[in-house]
Amino acid sequence: MHIIIVGAGKLGYKLAETLSQENSNVVIIDIDNKALERVNNNLDVLTVKANGVELKVLKQLNIKNFDLMIAVTSSDETNILVSSMAKKLGCHRVMARVRNPEYGNQLDYIKRQMDIDYIANPELETAKEIAKYLLQTHAVHMEDFAKGKVGMVDFRVKNIQDMVGKKLRELDIPQCVLIAAILRNGEIIIPHGDTELLSTDIIYVIGQKESINSFSKEIGTPINKKAVKKALILGGGKAGYYLANKLIQNHVAVKIIERDRERCKYLAEQFPNALVIHGDGTDSNLLSEENVFEMDALISLTGYDEENLLLALLGKQYGINKVIAKVSRPNYIPIIEKLGIDVAMNPVTITASGILRFIQGGRVASLSLLLGGQAEVLEIIAKENSKVVENKLSSLGLPKGMIIGAVVHKGNVIIPDGNAVIYPGDRVIVFCLQSEVASIEKLFYRQKGGLINELWDSYKGTRKSTSI
Amino acid sequence: MNYGIVIKVLGSLLLFEAIALVPSLGISLYTGEHDSQAFTYTILILITVGFAMVKIPNKSRRIKSKEALTIVTLGWILVSFFGSLPFVFSGSIPSFVDAFFETISGLTTTGATIIDDIEVLPKGILFWRSFTHWLGGMGILVLTLAILPAIGVGGFQIFKAESPGPISDKLVPRMKDTAKILYTAYLGITILQIILLYIGGLSFYESLIHTFGTVGTGGFSTRNSSIGAFDSSYIVLVIAFFMIVSGVNFSLYYDLYKRRWRGIIRNSELKLYLSIIAACVLLITINLNGKLYDSLFDTFKHALFQVASFITTTGYATTNYEEWTSFSRAILFFLMFVGGSAGSTGGGVKVIRLLILFKLVKREIAKILHPRAMIPVQINGKVISSDVVASVTSFFFLYLILFAVGTLLISLEGIGFLSASSSVAATLGNIGPGFEFVGPTQTYSQFTVPSKLFLSLLMLFGRLELFTVFILLTPSFWEK
Repeated sequence: MHIIIVGAGKLGYKLAETLSQENSNVVIIDIDNKALERVNNNLDVLTVKANGVELKVLKQLNIKNFDLMIAVTSSDETNILVSSMAKKLGCHRVMARVRNPEYGNQLDYIKRQMDIDYIANPELETAKEIAKYLLQTHAVHMEDFAKGKVGMVDFRVKNIQDMVGKKLRELDIPQCVLIAAILRNGEIIIPHGDTELLSTDIIYVIGQKESINSFSKEIGTPINKKAVKKALILGGGKAGYYLANKLIQNHVAVKIIERDRERCKYLAEQFPNALVIHGDGTDSNLLSEENVFEMDALISLTGYDEENLLLALLGKQYGINKVIAKVSRPNYIPIIEKLGIDVAMNPVTITASGILRFIQGGRVASLSLLLGGQAEVLEIIAKENSKVVENKLSSLGLPKGMIIGAVVHKGNVIIPDGNAVIYPGDRVIVFCLQSEVASIEKLFYRQKGGLINELWDSYKGTRKSTSI
Repeated sequence: MNYGIVIKVLGSLLLFEAIALVPSLGISLYTGEHDSQAFTYTILILITVGFAMVKIPNKSRRIKSKEALTIVTLGWILVSFFGSLPFVFSGSIPSFVDAFFETISGLTTTGATIIDDIEVLPKGILFWRSFTHWLGGMGILVLTLAILPAIGVGGFQIFKAESPGPISDKLVPRMKDTAKILYTAYLGITILQIILLYIGGLSFYESLIHTFGTVGTGGFSTRNSSIGAFDSSYIVLVIAFFMIVSGVNFSLYYDLYKRRWRGIIRNSELKLYLSIIAACVLLITINLNGKLYDSLFDTFKHALFQVASFITTTGYATTNYEEWTSFSRAILFFLMFVGGSAGSTGGGVKVIRLLILFKLVKREIAKILHPRAMIPVQINGKVISSDVVASVTSFFFLYLILFAVGTLLISLEGIGFLSASSSVAATLGNIGPGFEFVGPTQTYSQFTVPSKLFLSLLMLFGRLELFTVFILLTPSFWEK
């Protein structure tokens, strides 16, 4: 696929990284030399220093030969304009990032009138994720797959006494549950029977939903079924706005602390049911005045990652049950899990997941990026004639960085072993390291074929890439 | 530094060199001369060492600029080291230092030789000697990159470190595809020239050898008196044409294929490159007319050939230009510093750097008149970032420093100033022959061993554009 990305910021970079590793040819445009240099030094993509709004530039790049354009500059208006223009010039599909809440209510209108296929709103999506977590009654943060039949949760090993120091094969875990991955020192590894669990590890468990629930009960992780009733939001920016909106709709009592007076006024007008406080979230006097101890949840959504992390830690100190921080930059991801914050939401990763899901279109039923995109969990419906079907899993030669977590066959959730066979139409939940995403294509989408076909494909690859 | 990946890539490079030796082995088997064993042994050694290196486990496959610089510099040294083994094993060049000098001269497309009588050497050895030009011309690592699937993300770093010119751009998103496109153009030009030379009456073998020497802008021949031995205007003009073609930025051939005429016509580097050639040919023709050669056409022919040979840093000769007037020889001397275009196979300072420097001077003059004026340095309508401008000026300064220091050191040999300075300019600029002591009828064999090693280093400096090698010599690079 030929993809053009306008804007080499955090999201643009993340998308370029993920897409180029998935065997797409990526061109990235920006007007900032420094941003492009960073891309050039780290990714195998083509960088162009130009302004994407210029018609001349788009024409020169031969925009009509591209399958997809993603506009993710810092300006909503630019994104809308660029993607709309690209579509008119013949680009197959276009996407734009639009974050302003004022546009939020008219996105459908914009999409239709401007002929934009997908509009990504990182703040809204982040807020949705946070709200989902706050409002659910599960013990742990769970990702759903296969229409809720299969779930994936993460546990801290140190909370589970009898797991530490054991090898996976010695563990007594139920049949319908699989430890798909281990997060160790900020890196995701795919375990095998002899992998030993350390107390600092976090394990990702995939399985049938009920089994996971009973599993989590069995291993005795602290269970809290209480939904959030009172939430404190620090920072009333765009994400804060969307989150407050969502929570108020679900009858949660919301307090917002915001530093900017004008913004406070605006928020107070927008949310008559919320309590908007003008002040500094880092001021401990203010926090105790506002009864921070009685809150069920604290969400720090200021514009600074560091502040968010520290505020969240402070919240934990106060004994607040659910503490969430927004962290946009990928640099901190490896250490966040060690800090003891419940959830760190990364708008970039969330948005990238959304965009990737859209790009994959019908091919992937659902997709989520883990740990800043180090790994992906995909739900794929197995097609006839693909390499993966009607073969024993052990004979497929799956790469090391990939594990088939669960297969839903005719409504039944199966945790596959080496002898399991996937049939056409099955939903397959695949846990895959970023480095191996390309082989998903090979296993699930390419027709069976010999060496000649492989060579022909690689030839086609070169020819395609020269057609830009 | 990630030593694992460095060793792995270098290992695959050596395996690739083993494959590259196969045609030479084929020729030596075909001619039945004594050199086939030398190739067999070298290939076996390369395969053993290469496999051992490839099998070394590495933690991550990430290549950052530090690894890339190490891979490129060490890669060139290693390939030269192993590439010199056939010369030693076959006894063609008994001294190892001489063989190393010859190989690095081939790979860096310099074309400086230490062999006094080429014509007695076996055909397989001569083929390998010239084939190194072809391999080194576009960059042996870029070629490995195009073929090997393993190198992904770090590929661009390697490409940047190996390809000549201050700004290296990809043509298409994927590094691998860019490398394939460049090599396709290279291969196309090569095949075309082989055919044209063959039509001109050269044997197939000699067509191959001289094509490698031309498109790689190297300059190794099978004849002691270089191209002058053929005594055919057709051959001279064909080789002159292809030298000029090989000195052009290869990405322009991609534009040509894509029919982007405007980009080609308006390319200021190409314009300047062709203008320099035209002006120098004109000046030399006028200067030499009626003095040395029988006809105006002959004068023009030799002037064109020699100018093309010097500006593209090939180093072929059709005539003993030592007999030329000092004005004409001075032109040739300065052409040694110009070099080909960025992204070509030519060496030297590169036309684009001179263009940027020229515009910089123009800007300084304008700034004296209008102190508050904002004047960007633009090439082809694009603003050259101040980082690039700074790198160009420091490159030029470093080039001159190396030239000066080199000349001083080589002067210790007790040879004349022009001999010393032109030998340094000819190796640093990857040209090959220089003047007087290293003139077209002479070789580098008279130099002492330390001088030969020093000149070898200069060739590497010139081919890898100074900084790549220089950085590896700084202690801070190796600090942990």
